[in-house]
Amino acid sequence: MQPAPDWAVTAAKIPTPADVKNAHSVLLSDEYLITVDDQNHAVERERWAVRILTPEGRRDAHCMVEYDTDAKLNYFHSWTFATDGRLFQAMDTDFKDVGAGGDVDMQSTDRFRVLNPPGADPGAVVACETERHMEPYLSSEDWEIQYPFPVVNESLELVLPAGGHFAASWSRYAPVKPIETPEGHLRWEIKNMPGLDLNNLHATPAWSALAARMSVKWGDSAVNGIGSQWRQIGQWMDQLEAHRAEPTPEITAKAQALATGAPDFYTKLSRITSYIQNNIRYFIVIKGIGGYQAHYAGEIFRNGYGDCKDKTTLLIAMLQAIGVQAHYLMVDSERGVIDPQAPSLYGNHMITAIELPAGENDPRLMARVKTTDGKELLIFDPTDEETPVGLIRGDLQGAYGELADGAASQVIALPVLKPDSAGLTRKGSFVLSVDGTLTGDLTYTFAGVEATDERGSLKEQDAKDVRQSWEQGLGSALPGLTLSGFEFRNTAGLDKPLGLDLQVSVPSYARQAGTLLLVRPRVLGSDARNLPGIMDGLPRLYPIEMSHPGVWKDSYDIKLPAGYAVDETPDPVTVDLPFASYSSTVAAKGDVLHYEREYVVKQVEVPAADAAQFRKLEDAIVSDEKGMTVLKKLP
Amino acid sequence: MRNCRVVCGAVMLLAAAMPLVLRASEFQQPTPDELKMTVDSAAPEASAVYLYYEEIDNDPLHYRSIYARIKVLTDKGKDLATVNLPYLRNDWKITDIAGRTIHPDGTVVPLTGKPEDLMSSKSGNREVGRKVFTLPEVTVGSIIEYRYQIRYGDNHFSSPLWQIQRDYYVHKAHYVFTPFENFMPHPNQTSSNYLTDAKGNVVNTLLWWFNLPKGSGVAQGMNNYTVDVTDIPAAPDEEYMPPIQSVLYKVFFYYKSAHNAQEYWTNAAKEWSKDVDKFAEPSNTIKQAVAGIVSPGDSEQVKAQKLYKAVEALDNTDYSRAKSASEMKALKIKEARHAEDTWKQKSGSSEAIALLYLAMARAAGLTAFAMKVVDRDDGVFDPSYMDMDQLDSTLVLVGIDGKGVLLDPGQKMCTFGQVKWNHSDAGGMRQSPQGPGYEKTPGQLYSDNSLQRDGDVTLDANGGMTGYFTFTLRGQDALRWRQEALKSNPDDLKKGFDKWVQPMMPQGVEGNVDHFLGLDDPDSNLMAIVKAKGTLGTALPKRLLLPEVFFESRGTEPFVKEAKRLEPVDMRYAEQITDNVVYHLPAGYTVEGAPQDAKDVWQQHAAYVLKTQIAAGQVRVDRVLARGFDLATADEYQDLRGFYQKVAASDQSEVVLTLAASGKGN
Repeated sequence: MQPAPDWAVTAAKIPTPADVKNAHSVLLSDEYLITVDDQNHAVERERWAVRILTPEGRRDAHCMVEYDTDAKLNYFHSWTFATDGRLFQAMDTDFKDVGAGGDVDMQSTDRFRVLNPPGADPGAVVACETERHMEPYLSSEDWEIQYPFPVVNESLELVLPAGGHFAASWSRYAPVKPIETPEGHLRWEIKNMPGLDLNNLHATPAWSALAARMSVKWGDSAVNGIGSQWRQIGQWMDQLEAHRAEPTPEITAKAQALATGAPDFYTKLSRITSYIQNNIRYFIVIKGIGGYQAHYAGEIFRNGYGDCKDKTTLLIAMLQAIGVQAHYLMVDSERGVIDPQAPSLYGNHMITAIELPAGENDPRLMARVKTTDGKELLIFDPTDEETPVGLIRGDLQGAYGELADGAASQVIALPVLKPDSAGLTRKGSFVLSVDGTLTGDLTYTFAGVEATDERGSLKEQDAKDVRQSWEQGLGSALPGLTLSGFEFRNTAGLDKPLGLDLQVSVPSYARQAGTLLLVRPRVLGSDARNLPGIMDGLPRLYPIEMSHPGVWKDSYDIKLPAGYAVDETPDPVTVDLPFASYSSTVAAKGDVLHYEREYVVKQVEVPAADAAQFRKLEDAIVSDEKGMTVLKKLP
Repeated sequence: MRNCRVVCGAVMLLAAAMPLVLRASEFQQPTPDELKMTVDSAAPEASAVYLYYEEIDNDPLHYRSIYARIKVLTDKGKDLATVNLPYLRNDWKITDIAGRTIHPDGTVVPLTGKPEDLMSSKSGNREVGRKVFTLPEVTVGSIIEYRYQIRYGDNHFSSPLWQIQRDYYVHKAHYVFTPFENFMPHPNQTSSNYLTDAKGNVVNTLLWWFNLPKGSGVAQGMNNYTVDVTDIPAAPDEEYMPPIQSVLYKVFFYYKSAHNAQEYWTNAAKEWSKDVDKFAEPSNTIKQAVAGIVSPGDSEQVKAQKLYKAVEALDNTDYSRAKSASEMKALKIKEARHAEDTWKQKSGSSEAIALLYLAMARAAGLTAFAMKVVDRDDGVFDPSYMDMDQLDSTLVLVGIDGKGVLLDPGQKMCTFGQVKWNHSDAGGMRQSPQGPGYEKTPGQLYSDNSLQRDGDVTLDANGGMTGYFTFTLRGQDALRWRQEALKSNPDDLKKGFDKWVQPMMPQGVEGNVDHFLGLDDPDSNLMAIVKAKGTLGTALPKRLLLPEVFFESRGTEPFVKEAKRLEPVDMRYAEQITDNVVYHLPAGYTVEGAPQDAKDVWQQHAAYVLKTQIAAGQVRVDRVLARGFDLATADEYQDLRGFYQKVAASDQSEVVLTLAASGKGN
């Protein structure tokens, strides 16, 4: 066995900081060294040491490195400093290689080498060292400086070739100046970074949208200024996809055939986007640079499948064939991950920005953005097979994206749509029997994001599973429910609301309590969000995620049994706040009990400072949803 | 697919002599009905159906060939256009992949893309790869077809495992297995060739096990075995199902050195028992250890308990961490081959610790036998399927005062005299004075597993509440949380417990465990002190409404929503839940209306009692749900569902409080 290297011995001696509480492990030291040669090829070495604090902390000591055909692994060594003073060195049998992906529709040639460290018990320190070639087509690295557990010391060293230059940008962390010794050898250091643990916190932004990171660039990527860096990234993307979105004759013929006879721009667009949504299946095996670079449009069109870059490529090509310009727009599937202040390739999804003709004001084209150079763009995600052109999903609303448009490349803020762009309306008409059985008809109307979600669910499940999941969901709110009718309407026409008609029967819906009969006027549906922590009044550090704006309405009529009269109903509720409003009423008209409510979400998130207002809203909703009407038997 | 190793050289000659008869079926022409089908009347809600599935296995030629024809009926069905074929890279090859897509108009689009060969995992010399291909231009209405071959080494023999029941409905399927000549149904002559298994035993018999629809079976031809089936429903998916593999239609072939099940299990049991006795030999080291733990005057009960406590105190690596090969080498530790090794290392797996207990019990002069049972979490023991791998957990049967007491020493924190649920009602084999034989462990009694929730709830006039509860857990729930505590720190344990408790709480109420009592002592009840607060009641201008049943008001009882049942019900173990909750009413409120007491019984299976007592300023609600069964047949389902429907309806009852005449005032 080789003795442990000095760096590992030194790291293992770093004491656990006294203020580390409730952590399963602590990262004592994490050092990156990126050495760039004069051909711009970079090699990255990482040395890190983890102290295991609890049995669960063992998982953090399973060191791992990613590699691929374009990013070969030079070596991976590890040593464990056990609590009894023993030293273990990991052998070949302690490592395992695992292929990335494995989903039905997304597979990759990426691999991970994972360590099962010997002697990894609480108190032990596991030190790991890896060295790998960085992807030759990249000249940047995103340095993730925050983890779910605390870090004592971390550093990144960048060794540039003679005359080399760099640029750094920081996300959610005050910029740190590098120490430069000697020339071209830069070192950034950070001490005592707290862990970012979102476990048991509810409705927070995504972890990656809150964690601190730094992006460092070298070579041609290293330009000054945030705007210039975004522009450079966009130009790099354009260059990477050059000629890939050129329409072939077959593509041109198809696009023109689709557009022929369209009465307006929206219809023209819609026919092409629908074609891609319905005919290009999402599937890809990513090999090396294929993680960034699309296939050629002709190949995608011929195969009938592709990933997000491919779908965007084919859409750009088809639009180009009918005279409409469109661009790649890199986003992340989680809002807030792309930080406009930190230019980088930190995104995981590609969508499309379509140039709108001057004066195009079709109200159906809601997801609009204006660029700094005055272009009006419509944002559209061709991978999303359930959202019609004109709208975008909730997680894209309020997010940022990198527009690839040559010299006009820039980061853009994606729009937050108006509340009436999404939501759900439920209407019901019921008859209550004297034995408490409720029977009647229900109609659901899903719009915008809600229609997208429901259509997605219809696509992902067998019809039997769809029906069963509805039965179970409804049955949770209405125990004993029997569903005698169940039919969706407008499942295919994305530009129309999705409908669902139900016929239900619920025994013992009204509950007998002595001579009284208790009826819940809100038959179905809940707008309440049970968010422990927030509802307890605990201090809130992060915004509260609201998903997306929308309007949710319920309207129910219950015909009461003969011989009973309404004795008492819940009071009306009205709450109006900057981020949401809620109102409900219960009224008895003759022998019919009528319930009506409206919940409007106006923003995608609520600032942490407004947690008390959010609590007020939720308290009102919970109270209203529990409201009961008391029926009394007439003498 | 199971692979065994090594055949003698003669088999290779045999293989070379066999003609290549079953290679590559041609694609079938679709019928007009298949092309225009939009919904399959045989499976009206299916996303896709197999029109045809074929598997041809030829062991002498060391290959198998698969052919599938699938009709895509919905978007979800398009997922079947991507085909993932896992394989062992050093032993198998996947070849001759071909496929095509047929549009509803009859247009044929051939698969032209090269399949990708991806790595799934690699550890030492074992590398699992995946061949992946996706069929082109697949839309709803397409028929997709593909075929491929798997080839394995000439020095291996392999018998097929046919998964007849799949995720989607199968209209027609055809399976053929050609074994080596000696194992053919009607061999022309007895060959001098022979096979040997991994232990060097001569394999002399081909056996098969099947679960097939009525009327189907394994047909024996001249040289091969075939199965032809039609109209196979998709794999079932129901709540509280037994392990899925125990209910699916399938056929296993396997080569064995036995002629029938009785011979196989007799031999296997003898071999297992011999290995157990060898490992659990009460050596001098064991005897010395035992002498330090028990006293000569101890009763059998005391001896058994003291030894149980001693082995339970060892490091059970199934709950901590097993040392890797490199670590053992560095520490100069060898794999335990005898019970004394486990004792000396003070560490071992559940299996090793159970056998150590057996050795120590025997060394203490107790009559003790090993039992090897199926893990009910994974499967159901079937003696007609001759494979010892069905059995994976060792228990110990100790004679105490003339009675056999079943123990589970491999389960950390398991109370003496109990076994973990997945080892109860579990088939397997046991040693006995008459020799080893089949045995099934007894099911658990509902009285052994109980959850009691006692508490006081103080209400205010707006429906707000604070509550203080004592959860008392015995049996399986206590074992579960004690074992969880071994792997979690106290904070995480509390968080996990809170997650378990929360669905029991009424909507608008949050419960958090404050502390545990008896967490480290499996011989005592485990108690959790839970505090709850939130909005429980519904405040109306004149009244306050309360759920009568505090813990089950969310209506989470099982089976209520599913009217039909195909498969048996497996609820793991019998148990009893008892609630005693006292509501302290806000000042000025009295009970205006309360539900009648309820009592329901499902004879011989389960009982439910709900009782409300009203006193000045308080309402006391007592509820008992006792379930005396763990398994029920599909035929019993309607009775079971009827019982739970009544329970669910009772649990939704409300108590109406009204404000006395002095008025609510402000």
